[in-house]
Amino acid sequence: MSWTPTRRHFMQMTGAASAALAAGALLPGRAHAARDKELNIFCWEGYNSDVVLDPFRKEFGATVKAETQTSDPEAVNRLRAGESKVWDLINLNNPWARKSLWPDGLIKELDRARFEPYFDKMLPAFKPPYRWAMSDDGKHLLGMCQRFGPFSFVVNTDKISREMAEDQGFDLFNDDKHAGKFGILTFDDWNVYHMCIGAGVHPFRPHTEPEFQAYEKVARKWVKNAKFLGGDPVQMNLALINGEIDFYCTGGTYTASPARFDGKTNIRGITPKKGPMDGKGGIVWIEVTSVINNPDGSPLAYDFLEYVQRPDVAKVVAFAEGTYNTVAQMGNPKVLSQFSKEELDAVQWDSLEEEIANSYEYDINPDYPRMIEILNAAKRER
Amino acid sequence: MSALAQRLAGFLHQPGFQAAVPVLILLLIGFFGPLVLVAVFSFMPARSFKLDGGPTLENYRFAFEQSYYLSLLRSFAFAAGTVAVLALVCYPVALGMAKLFGRYAGVLTLVMVLPLFVSENVRLFGWVLFLLKGGGVLAGAAKAVFGIELADMLYSNSATLMGLAYVYLPFMLFPMVLGLSMVSRDVVEAASDLGASRWQIMREIELPLALPGLLIGGLLTFVLSLGSLTESKVLGGSKVIMIAADIESAFTYGQNWPLGSALSVLLLVLAGGLVLVVLSKLNLDAILKRR
Repeated sequence: MSWTPTRRHFMQMTGAASAALAAGALLPGRAHAARDKELNIFCWEGYNSDVVLDPFRKEFGATVKAETQTSDPEAVNRLRAGESKVWDLINLNNPWARKSLWPDGLIKELDRARFEPYFDKMLPAFKPPYRWAMSDDGKHLLGMCQRFGPFSFVVNTDKISREMAEDQGFDLFNDDKHAGKFGILTFDDWNVYHMCIGAGVHPFRPHTEPEFQAYEKVARKWVKNAKFLGGDPVQMNLALINGEIDFYCTGGTYTASPARFDGKTNIRGITPKKGPMDGKGGIVWIEVTSVINNPDGSPLAYDFLEYVQRPDVAKVVAFAEGTYNTVAQMGNPKVLSQFSKEELDAVQWDSLEEEIANSYEYDINPDYPRMIEILNAAKRER
Repeated sequence: MSALAQRLAGFLHQPGFQAAVPVLILLLIGFFGPLVLVAVFSFMPARSFKLDGGPTLENYRFAFEQSYYLSLLRSFAFAAGTVAVLALVCYPVALGMAKLFGRYAGVLTLVMVLPLFVSENVRLFGWVLFLLKGGGVLAGAAKAVFGIELADMLYSNSATLMGLAYVYLPFMLFPMVLGLSMVSRDVVEAASDLGASRWQIMREIELPLALPGLLIGGLLTFVLSLGSLTESKVLGGSKVIMIAADIESAFTYGQNWPLGSALSVLLLVLAGGLVLVVLSKLNLDAILKRR
């Protein structure tokens, strides 16, 4: 889910590797080779971490390759462009499996008898049949859930109290008083959603012309008033800690947790108490990991989905690297007990239930292409 | 016509050409191929991911209608600024390395080259830590040692320019050193003996003779900074959007490969055209041969 230059640099290298991988997979001679000892994972960072993969490699004697992706729509498009022949597992935010990958035949369903019992052990919100893991008709299980988190904005509570931030919500960014006191973390798709909320517009429904205008006004104002725009959560947290800014959007436990785990607990993800999405003002993302409809898919994909459900592995996934997140498996006492007090505090376990209650579940913005162009123009003409 | 055909046949039968064929094919596929692909994509309908759409100029129309000219102009301005700053900074250093430092020049070369082994991003984030307000290395030290509060230095256009100059310094410096080392000491001494002032020597002897090096350094840094991205993002806080950032955004978050391709082609044509014009005016070959 992140977009940092350092990570991108790493990806330039893995990009070359994956291109080679893709080329290999497309070669006719290899097309139907048995792949029971190899697994290719396309995921948000974390699942690609060696602390997650190495034990799996050892236990299953498998060659596992993983590439991190940087945006849901981009990953979906890469699968559409033919990479479904390369990858075995895809890890995306919630709407894509149900609304895009399954209808387009890009993923396979999971055996409900084998995988649904895992949902029983998750947090109550994930009780089966869990909406985002199911097909529209409620018959097919499309993926497994693990990491999730509220994602709106982050404040330095020494400067802006949690109560004030929750009450004002995204109006904090609309207030000219705060010009030059906030940053924008350029996860552009999320910026679009949050700017919609700031304009009092539901991001996940088709929009009217007046709504586009309201959105554009907010987009231009935020971009103009921002102290700086940057692509790296670490840079945002550093600016918060050093007093360059008092708050930033787009962010949440996903971006604030590394600073919090480092002892800077005055950095806090905020979920607004109210907003335009059926009264809700925050957004929560939930990752769904699905088995890709690869004509030569690896049987290990299913084993991996079970492997990450193990209590010890679920904990490792939650704290894999770079960012720390809550996982649905924390509903299982065996998982929860593995988190230290500091770790729970880093992922804001204390307010999680309340924040989720105030959050709307991430969805697809039908007007995204036009809205992203408006945001890009606002940035150019800043 | 037959004479031409004969010449062509003769050329094709040259062992030199035949030996070069494998490399030529590799270059065609690996270097020219992707460029052609980008060019073709720029004529596909917006937001398509395949090359089977009918050719259209829609992406170029969109690029001209929208404010992309701002990014282009700013990129050119920053590139020109970088070249100017680097020319001023590098000339004395290059002169020293070529003429004065003797065996210490090697040490200096090493010092200048070493940063290239570290990723550009890491070095730029180093600058962020250095320039950060409050607890940054510079601001923190100034406060602890001298008790003064430094003003904001990050997230400004000057920070971007500084970053560009820092990152591309070696690309200006080393061609410049080469250029200046082409200036024979005898010529300088002769000019001096004949009564030329130090200023005259620099203007009339050193600069013209070192021109190929200066020119190559200038072109390299210009083209590199024209396509730069990270400096304005990391140090400039995206105060200005460089054209490379627009291209990246079109390919990633925008999911509009044809638009990104059209912008790339525009940049390529403008930069390539400029380079060709400069080179034709200055005729590098003649300058190099003159030596």
